[in-house]
Amino acid sequence: MDLKDISTSVPRKDHKGKVSGQLAYISDVKVENMVYGVLYRSPIAYGKIISIQLPNLPEGYEAVGAEDIPGPNYVKIIKEDQPIFANDWVNYIGEPILMLVGGDLNILYSLLDEVKIELEEHQAIYTLDKAIKQKSVPGVNMASYEFGESLEIISAIELKAHQIIEEEYDTGYQEHVYLEPQGMLAIYKEDEIVVQGSMQCLYYIKNALLSALACGDDDVRVVQSPTGGGFGGKEDYPSMMACHVAVAAKAVKKSVMLVFDRSEDMVVTTKRHPAKLKYRTAIDKDGNILSMCVEIFLDGGANVGLSSVVLQRALINSAGVYKIPHFHSKGYVLKTNTVPNGAFRGFGAPQSFAGIESHIGHLSKLANIDPIEYKRKYLVKQGDPTITKGNFRDPILMEEMIEDLLNASDYKKKKVEFQTFNQQNQRYKKGIGTSLFLHGCGFTGSGERDHIKATVKLVKSKDGKVILKISNSDMGQGIYTTLSKIVAKELDILYEKVLYPDPDTKEVPDSGPTVASRTTMIVGKLLQRAAKKLKDQWQSGVEQEVVEHYVHREMIPWDEKTFTGDAYPAYSWGVNIVEVEVDTLTGNLKLEKVYANYEVGKVIDDRVMKGQIDGGLAQGLAYGYLEKMTSREGKIQQKSISDYGPPTSLDVVTIQSKVFDNPYADGPYGAKGAGELTLIGGAPAVQAAIEDALQTSFQQIPITPEVIIESLWMREGEEG
Amino acid sequence: MAEKIIAYRFDRLDQTLSQLNNENCVIIAGGTDVMVLHKSRRGVPPKIPKPIVFIDHLSELKRVYQNDKDLHIGACCTYSELLEDPFIPSPLKDAIKTIAAPAIRNRGTLGGNICNASPAGDTLPLLYIYNAKLLLRSVKGDRIVAISDFIQGPRRVQRDHNEILAEIILPSILEGGSHVVFEKVGNRNADAIAKVGFAGYIRLNGARIDDVRFAFGAVGPTMVRSMDIEKKLLGKTVPLAAADIAQIVAAFDKIIKPIDDQRSTALYRKTVALNLLRYFLSMKQYQPN
Repeated sequence: MDLKDISTSVPRKDHKGKVSGQLAYISDVKVENMVYGVLYRSPIAYGKIISIQLPNLPEGYEAVGAEDIPGPNYVKIIKEDQPIFANDWVNYIGEPILMLVGGDLNILYSLLDEVKIELEEHQAIYTLDKAIKQKSVPGVNMASYEFGESLEIISAIELKAHQIIEEEYDTGYQEHVYLEPQGMLAIYKEDEIVVQGSMQCLYYIKNALLSALACGDDDVRVVQSPTGGGFGGKEDYPSMMACHVAVAAKAVKKSVMLVFDRSEDMVVTTKRHPAKLKYRTAIDKDGNILSMCVEIFLDGGANVGLSSVVLQRALINSAGVYKIPHFHSKGYVLKTNTVPNGAFRGFGAPQSFAGIESHIGHLSKLANIDPIEYKRKYLVKQGDPTITKGNFRDPILMEEMIEDLLNASDYKKKKVEFQTFNQQNQRYKKGIGTSLFLHGCGFTGSGERDHIKATVKLVKSKDGKVILKISNSDMGQGIYTTLSKIVAKELDILYEKVLYPDPDTKEVPDSGPTVASRTTMIVGKLLQRAAKKLKDQWQSGVEQEVVEHYVHREMIPWDEKTFTGDAYPAYSWGVNIVEVEVDTLTGNLKLEKVYANYEVGKVIDDRVMKGQIDGGLAQGLAYGYLEKMTSREGKIQQKSISDYGPPTSLDVVTIQSKVFDNPYADGPYGAKGAGELTLIGGAPAVQAAIEDALQTSFQQIPITPEVIIESLWMREGEEG
Repeated sequence: MAEKIIAYRFDRLDQTLSQLNNENCVIIAGGTDVMVLHKSRRGVPPKIPKPIVFIDHLSELKRVYQNDKDLHIGACCTYSELLEDPFIPSPLKDAIKTIAAPAIRNRGTLGGNICNASPAGDTLPLLYIYNAKLLLRSVKGDRIVAISDFIQGPRRVQRDHNEILAEIILPSILEGGSHVVFEKVGNRNADAIAKVGFAGYIRLNGARIDDVRFAFGAVGPTMVRSMDIEKKLLGKTVPLAAADIAQIVAAFDKIIKPIDDQRSTALYRKTVALNLLRYFLSMKQYQPN
């Protein structure tokens, strides 16, 4: 492949199938001897199952439940707290209890209505606030960590401080709204169950199946189907669906398909954790920060799932991109009887960045300094320690990126112009806001070395084609293209000669899950090394195979117990500036301009990166003001896309973005992670812009029109 | 096996009307509401309880024409067609542009928006302040009814099963001289169901108010309009005195009774409805549009 610069865009490998509508997703698939599954779900938030009475099932229709599971009744993720089929206690509305299978969905739906269940209902915890109050009740605190400066030292500092600033900040649910709802098919064969579907993590699913089916390594196989978006929603959740279909297939000796429609998907699948963040900061008389304590509460929902890991990332990012003197942080995952929350692009970081950017912004107002200038005073620099006593050892270009974006957006001039505009216009108010952020690439700590241990394989065919054998999913983010490109460039062969078939655990080694902004940086680097090796041994006309294993970068070892060490091997960085216009009559917001600078080491494909920027920012901005999901007595209220309200093309403006080069030695061609980073700055920047427009402070996201109108109404009350 | 559905698609309106006279049917114009209303869960076709009559293709129902100063709009004109039509007043076009997205606008019809009688129907506030009259046709002949009498409640209209809504008549609209505003407040800029809708109409003689009308959508079971409140402003001069504005706002405050739901709160809906009203009343001047 002859590209002067690896970043130059090439046609995406999946382009034709997708734009022509020809690509078959899992719900398009039909196999011989296939039946459908539908789930009977808990109607209550918390209680004990007393009895279940099934209707008379017609021939060809069967019920599958906990008693049909060959292995233990839990979905293997981290802890053993999530039943495949609840058969004793139910912990949230929508928890799967049993599955009905049969040939006709119409009949299955009416049979579902006839299932009778007797339950003994218990007092549920519906909200995070309630869970915080009951934190000490056994079972409520599902995970917690604490680290940083000793509280005695902080108390001493606070005693002498000019002022202590305390703030409480709330973040809401976020729903992934992947274009393709969740779907999974188990193909029944006598000697093997093949599970196929929409997914991010083939080996997570395989491990869950080995446990649930209590079977041998060769008895089960996982194949990824074309996946229409994941955003983390297909990291943990598909393991449960895979267990459902595989257990059912084994029980009824038929292939079983389980596909959700949008409304089912929206109410029962995982979401971004709602959070409460508390800040307690000591300042001197000039508004300088003397110490800071952060407390984070995540609403885990009914099972812990991946929540403890999400909390770790939230805590590691709790100081944002700042070097805060005397910093202390502590966090909890609390149980509520609501739909379990799980992985979502950013994985705990978006909550933390929204909170810290908000808090620092408010501190800057107290100090009477422009937020961006106040933030710059505390910006971390190369060589600075991290809050976990790790080290920012690579160059940091944030100053350069900020300066560039201030110029691109004409920030200072806009500030003045908007003030004049706002004085003259009664109805509309304009504002401009910034956010500074980073994202740690790859698994936290030594996870890559100790847990993932990624392996990749390249196979060269006799006719000179090279096939990628890895377990990573293209879910629309573009790794078919970028990883193929890395291999083609390294081998100096045509891009078209590099093939990347849908991963199948029978064919591919475990190169790890497709999560944590790790794929390009870690799997890409392994592939680059494998390609280099293959090139050295290249022989025409013969089949060849090379394998590469993960090598860990030298770092300060991570200790999860003390929460110290290098949390990540590398960091990607970003700056956002957002301009908004607020309609003070309706509280509606118009995004006027969005500017973004990022540093991701080195871009592997400009257009793929632009896709990540535009999509990530749209999702991040919407998290700050648009997308609103609520739960009432354990029930998700928004069951349709229009009620939930993710942005349309009429809500987002052209995003003016630039990516800075800062090659990273352990990434392919210098690349680091990019997928999650692009989301993180959206919400805090939009909040800052709204605050600038209305000259007020908010303590929550999303800042919906309802929140704005209430705030304006309260202010009117105070003034009147 | 899919269940059988009987569907009729006649070439002419008179055939359609005589079928409707014989049999109680579900009428499908664009289908954008009927198909959603009867939607089943995934993989199962919609369950429509009655035979279906398609009317979207009937040219008799797709004409837009002027009759004296009145504008007649065929009930089966799609939103997209109306956007292209020179007769359609620009405030109505602005309202139509806020409906759903192009695909729905290519199917959905003005008549359908009325007969669906959603509390949040996007064109309804404007049609109310235009004093729209509806021409209903059956084998027995025509009758004309005011839109506010026709719409009885959520999804309840005064249509006999043998009738078709044939035309929407906007009386005297081509006289001009009125200033009309329409505001839709949704959670996003496309594919959104209104949280609040507001339409205001004012006609001046010099600075004196000759006629004024207001309608609110999505804040009650049907559009909220009050002739009694409107009357209080007749003969007053603009700009209106603060006390007059306050009196009108207070009067609507009493009759607007929105609800909390998954899309918004009652408090928000009411505050915004009254904000939009107050803003309309506080304008220093009104240009005919």
